[in-house]
This record gives sequence, structure tokens and C-alpha cells, in this order.
Amino acid sequence: MVDFLDELEKDVPALRRYARALTRNIDRADDLVQDTLERAIARRGLFRPRGPLRPWLFTILTNLHRNSRRSDRRRGETVDVATVELATSAPQPGHLALAELARAIETLPLDQKEALLLVTLEGLAYSEAAAILQIPTGTLMSRLGRARATLRQLTGGETQPHLRTVK
Amino acid sequence: MSEISRDTLMAYLDNELDAATRVKVEADAAAMAEVAAYARQSDAIRTLYAPVGAEPLPSHLDPHRLALQAQRRQWRAVAQAAMIVCVLGIGIAAGWLLRPSANAPALYDRLIADAVSAHTVYVAENRHAVEVASNDSEHLSTWLSNRLDTTLAMPDLSVQGLTFLGGRLLPAPAIPGGRAAQLMYENAAGERTTLYITPATGVGGPAYESVRLGTDQVLYWANTIFTCTIVGTGTPEQLQAIANAVFAQLSPGASPLYES
Repeated sequence: MVDFLDELEKDVPALRRYARALTRNIDRADDLVQDTLERAIARRGLFRPRGPLRPWLFTILTNLHRNSRRSDRRRGETVDVATVELATSAPQPGHLALAELARAIETLPLDQKEALLLVTLEGLAYSEAAAILQIPTGTLMSRLGRARATLRQLTGGETQPHLRTVK
Repeated sequence: MSEISRDTLMAYLDNELDAATRVKVEADAAAMAEVAAYARQSDAIRTLYAPVGAEPLPSHLDPHRLALQAQRRQWRAVAQAAMIVCVLGIGIAAGWLLRPSANAPALYDRLIADAVSAHTVYVAENRHAVEVASNDSEHLSTWLSNRLDTTLAMPDLSVQGLTFLGGRLLPAPAIPGGRAAQLMYENAAGERTTLYITPATGVGGPAYESVRLGTDQVLYWANTIFTCTIVGTGTPEQLQAIANAVFAQLSPGASPLYES
């Protein structure tokens, strides 16, 4: 029980990062993470996987996010992209390019965005990401490819030397 | 342009390739340039959101705290469920205790009906009208007293012109204890009268009830110890006289039986 909670705690930063990238809204992201944690705690006896917790937690979060989007759409709410803050706000080289990238990610269809963020941001293996999104690995790769191509197009094509300085 | 597919390039970038294919990709300069472009993009995405992962954890996202809250909620739910069960239980118990009083008269009505049935069945018998005959009345009294779990004397109704024939034990499923005693008497004309006696525990209802069922006159009475249903062919007045005699002989004042 304590082990489980400690393990859970270690994954919270990653969950917040993924949630923030998905929603681009601090409050919605943290609500999503809280819901995810509560669900994980409530279901630990029944559904806790044998392996690492992280993929399971990402699965819960992804599904909760999809559900909330579905109910938002039913209520007719939309997220106002223009008012959503950037995660990084300090002025720095490449900041404008990053803002551009964030907006470009925002325009991606959700299924491409999920695939992109799980693999690039969270560094999950294709098989793990595919399992989380409940799609075949081939489908994951094609979504990933389309997402990356679109982003390259939207953020100025092949060469972005200024982004290189940001590490 | 390289012959290496976009999927392979991505797989190289994401460390999903086997060693042999990696070597092949690395040998292709154009492919490596593509990979570098993808790598920059991935770096940028990580740079964009890395600070979120480094933020201090807000207390409302602490799993220990959430688990504690969930536990409290669970206990509250259990307590609530227990409360509901209690309230329901009290309600059901109260409902049972205060159940419509229409049920209570039904119990003494059933005693009357049982008395009449038993009367009808056994007065018609000659050799087997009674289980234990009057010549063994001491044994009969002890036996019925034991079975009814109360002390029962055999009333002498000779003043009323009735001869004691004897008695039997009968089932009385309607009442606690489930047993009744039937005592049978006969007048000079051979007309028979029966007393159907049960302990009064849990019977309730009126103290007296006089009804006529077909050719039989019925008089029911109850005190705190017994109920007695007298079934016979006489008039209501004759039955009342019998009842008075029975009551006098079984009543607390007249007999040490009812001292308690």
C-alpha cells in the first residue's frame, strides 16, 4: 500500500507533463491528474498491473481526457487556444519558435497528438504507446509520422537552427 | 532523397530499430539529416514541457493524501450505509410492532375458528371423543399443564349439568407455543360442549366474544393467563353461565394456580 503510493508519487510529474501538453491548461491538466490518481488508488486492488505503473496511469489519463473532451463537446464548451498559457514563459532564445511549436501541436488531431506526446515527450516505446492508445503499432507509427510531418510543415520546414540552442 | 522510409527513420530516432538496420540508416547521409531534423523537433517538444515535470508537486496531487481522502470517503460511505441499515431496521421493526391491529383480532378469530373445527370433529366421535378420559383426570391435568407450559386444572361443571368426559392435546399453530387443550363435557341429553384452552401469551384481542356459527354457539373469553373458547349447543346465556364457572375455577383469586 505504501509502496504503491510512493510509486504513484514518482509518476505524478510525468502525468502532469503529459496532461499539460494534452490540454495546455494548468487547471484542467491537474484536475485530470487528480482524477487519474484517484481512479488508480480506487482500483489498485482490481486492476493494478504486474509491471510498472506508468503505462497503466497513462492509459487511465488518456481515457479520462477523451471522456472529458466528449462531455465538453456535448456541453458545447471549447478551449480557447489564444488564452492558454505556455508552459514556458521566461523569455529565452527560441521562445518564439517554441510558442509556434506549441500552437502547431494544438492544431493536431487528438489521436496524433496523443501518439506524438507519448513517444517524444514521455519517451515510451512504440509497443507501450500503442497499448495505451489501444491501437496496433503500425497505426501508432502512421499517426506519429503524420504528426511529425505536420509539425515540421507548420514550424517552418526542414531547418530550424534556432531550436537547436534550446536544450 | 533517401530510400529509407519515414517509418524507419522515426524508428531509428525512437530507438526502435535493431542493430543491423541502425547501421544501414547511419550509412545514409541524407537519412541521417532527416533524423536530425526529427530529433530537433523532439527536443523542442521536450523543452516545451520539461518545466512542468520539474514543478513542485501541489499537495492536492499527493497520492498519499488522495488515498487518505478516499479512505475517509469510504468510511463515511460505510457509516452512511450502516446508518441506512439501522434506520431501515428500526422502521421495519416499528412497522412490525405497530402493524395494523387488523392482524391481532385475526389471531383470536383463528382460535375461535380452530375451537369450532376441533369441536365439530371430536364431538361426533363416540369411542375416541377424548384422548385421556375423565377417570384419569389427574394425569390429564398434569400432562396438559406440561404441554401448555401453564398450570391447568380440569374445571368441574356439574352444577351446570355437564359431565366431564376427558380431554386431548391439539396443535394451535397460530399462537406462541403452538398447543391447545380441548376438554369435553356432556349433558344428560348427550349434547356435548368443549372448552378450547390456550395460554394467553401474545393473543390480545377482546376479553369476550360471543358468536353463533351454524348450530353451534361460541363464547370466547381471555384473561392474562388463558384464552378459553366454549363451543356448545346451548343458548348464549347457558354458555355465559358455563364461562363464569370455568373462569371462577381458573381465576387467580380462587386458586393457588395463578399465584405468581
